[in-house]
Amino acid sequence: MSRRSNGFAWLSLFVALGCTRPAEERTRRDLEVGHQQSSALDVDVGSGLAALRALSRDELALWLSAPSADVSLVVRETLSLDLRVENAMAALELVDLDSGRVLPLASGAGATKKAWRLALTPGYWHFRLAAPGVAEKGRFRFALMSDVQEAIDRIQDVYQMIDAQPDLDFLLGAGDLTEEGEVDELERFQHELATLDVPYYTTLGNHELAERPPAYQDWFGRANFQFVHRGVYFTLLDSASATIDPLVGDWLDDWLANGKKSVHVVAMHIPPLDPVGTRNAAFASRAEAATLLAKLAEAGVDLTLYGHIHSYYSFQNAGIPAFISGGGGANPERADDIGRHFMVFDVDATRGVLSHEVVRVDHGDEIDEDE
Amino acid sequence: MPAPGEKRGARVSLGRVRGVAGLILLCVTIQSASAHAADAATSAGVATTIPAARGEPLTRDRSVAAAVAIVPGVALHGSGHYALGHKQTATALLVTEGVGLTLTLAGLGTLLASGNSRHLAGPALAATVFGAGLIFASFGADLYGTLATDGGAVDLSPRAPASFESEFGYRYVADPHFSYDGFVVESITLRRAGFRLTPSAWFANNASNVRYRVEGAYRVLGLQPGELGKRDDHIDLVLAGLHQRYLPEHFQRSGVELMLDTRFDFSHFGDTLRGAFVDMGVGYAVAKVAYDIAGQRVPADTDDLLLARVGLGVMLRGRAAPGSEARVYYDHRHDDYAAGFLTPGRISGVFGKFGADLRWFFTPRLGVLVDAQVGSAFVGGLSLLMREGSLRPQGVPP
Repeated sequence: MSRRSNGFAWLSLFVALGCTRPAEERTRRDLEVGHQQSSALDVDVGSGLAALRALSRDELALWLSAPSADVSLVVRETLSLDLRVENAMAALELVDLDSGRVLPLASGAGATKKAWRLALTPGYWHFRLAAPGVAEKGRFRFALMSDVQEAIDRIQDVYQMIDAQPDLDFLLGAGDLTEEGEVDELERFQHELATLDVPYYTTLGNHELAERPPAYQDWFGRANFQFVHRGVYFTLLDSASATIDPLVGDWLDDWLANGKKSVHVVAMHIPPLDPVGTRNAAFASRAEAATLLAKLAEAGVDLTLYGHIHSYYSFQNAGIPAFISGGGGANPERADDIGRHFMVFDVDATRGVLSHEVVRVDHGDEIDEDE
Repeated sequence: MPAPGEKRGARVSLGRVRGVAGLILLCVTIQSASAHAADAATSAGVATTIPAARGEPLTRDRSVAAAVAIVPGVALHGSGHYALGHKQTATALLVTEGVGLTLTLAGLGTLLASGNSRHLAGPALAATVFGAGLIFASFGADLYGTLATDGGAVDLSPRAPASFESEFGYRYVADPHFSYDGFVVESITLRRAGFRLTPSAWFANNASNVRYRVEGAYRVLGLQPGELGKRDDHIDLVLAGLHQRYLPEHFQRSGVELMLDTRFDFSHFGDTLRGAFVDMGVGYAVAKVAYDIAGQRVPADTDDLLLARVGLGVMLRGRAAPGSEARVYYDHRHDDYAAGFLTPGRISGVFGKFGADLRWFFTPRLGVLVDAQVGSAFVGGLSLLMREGSLRPQGVPP
């Protein structure tokens, strides 16, 4: 090999080792979530807010990523379709938007798993999956729990304590549901969720990235998305690779504009900045972190929520209240006297974030409460 | 004989002592006979070092030895030297690998056992970086020493730093998150006795971004401008101030940092390693991130970071003028243009960047710097270097 070609080979290797957009592939996959075609019908879930688990002539199965979602169908032949919806709020209803009619449940009243039987004729159908009143501004409570990973065997006592919380609308997650993100782990995670009384809306974490492409999106939907609940905007971002893909940056501009005049909660797995900077369990680039935080501050974001660090931290970034809550049980940070925990937030679309509390699972008490 | 104006005598001895202290600091557990032999030679001020004791070589073919340096050398560092009969050098390299492995395992073990504790993560990461760096360096040095054939030529390289250096160049930054791409880079370095001052600046060609840095350093151990020496071991205490403006992104970052910067010359381990060195640095930086958003008063964030750097380098020979060198390195910092390394897999964020640079002097005073870094962005470019003072090749009478 000549010196020149030798040098070129080294340069190529050097560049190939690097990766400036590690999240690009799964960000593009986000665009496919909630959209599928079959010979009998096409399905389009608005904003990709549900993962399509199954689609055939007689079955459509959805895993919801948000409290409400619009579902449009293009039906090409007369069908009797079983619509199965998982990860639903207990009061979720199916509304035929064309007739305004609430369709009767076939099963699952009061549960997170519901089913309807639909008689569909060829044409366009528009449905809304939503609990009554979720479009109206109001006050509600939600919980935050992330970083379960290898502690899945012990998750049920966490769920029991979450279920014991009064008036929770849903559980929010900031990633790392599993250790590797493999299909059997995702299946196990879903199986364990069956005992939870409220739905779990989450993004992914770095521990969902062992497989390429990650199976996560097939199971639990988009990694980057926004939903609105009782007038409060929730934006979940994929920071699992310690960066936000530039394509998400474009979407984020729109999402931030949507939530600018309301209460806006932004959640992601890896925080832009680690409160312990020497550890850098944070974005790979401090400049990118500051750029994102400046955007969030400019858009008046009210609350930022993170996982990844297996402890509890309360701080501010760019003046926005920030919480790291990685208390799902994964290898806990030692000597912090925190252990497994989850957080509960009380929010109101017109008054903001009213309070937060940290509930410790293994100690059964609260360590931080703020009104 | 020293050149007119150059100091020798007591200063030379002091330089030697500093070299030994540098060795002790960097490889405190290494007590190989070769290192002692080399130290004895240098403290006597002799122009040539005592060759490391040689045993019966397993081979005299350097290509075979190089192959041995890879297999089993990738696991047993020093295998190449062992094959060539440089058993003390081989032992020193193996011990260096052991030190590196111990540091790495201790660092990773601490991170794992403490759950990445806020109290231990910084030191544990530093130990991991240095450990991995020593492992890489001992492997690379074995390969280098096995293949190098003209160790004597490196004797002529001046090790003392120039009293004045300037850099003017261009850097291309490929970062998908930012609109900038090209930067004009300027820096000046002034040295007097043990003190160094280096102001530098990066200006984006679209005026959207600028970085100013002023670095002051005191050479605790090692050669100063005008001093003679055979080796470039040194320990510098570095204090720096940094200001970066990201105008379109509405923030500025200003901070200070303190760093201990060291170089260990591998020729302590034996003549075959003459010209190879390992750079290591550790420090702490703290910065204020101020947000500049129209119509809003946004509180600034305080941000700190671990500084840790390790690199393996070689001095260049042949057509390159003395002072030319090439280096590959890892830099743990996350706040510059290349920032931290990203991967598509599970672990991202914690790594710093990887880089390589080449300083090639065409004449004693004029050269180029080629630099490339891979982090969350690609950075690469070229600078023109000029230097003045203390450039006379050593070992040659004036």
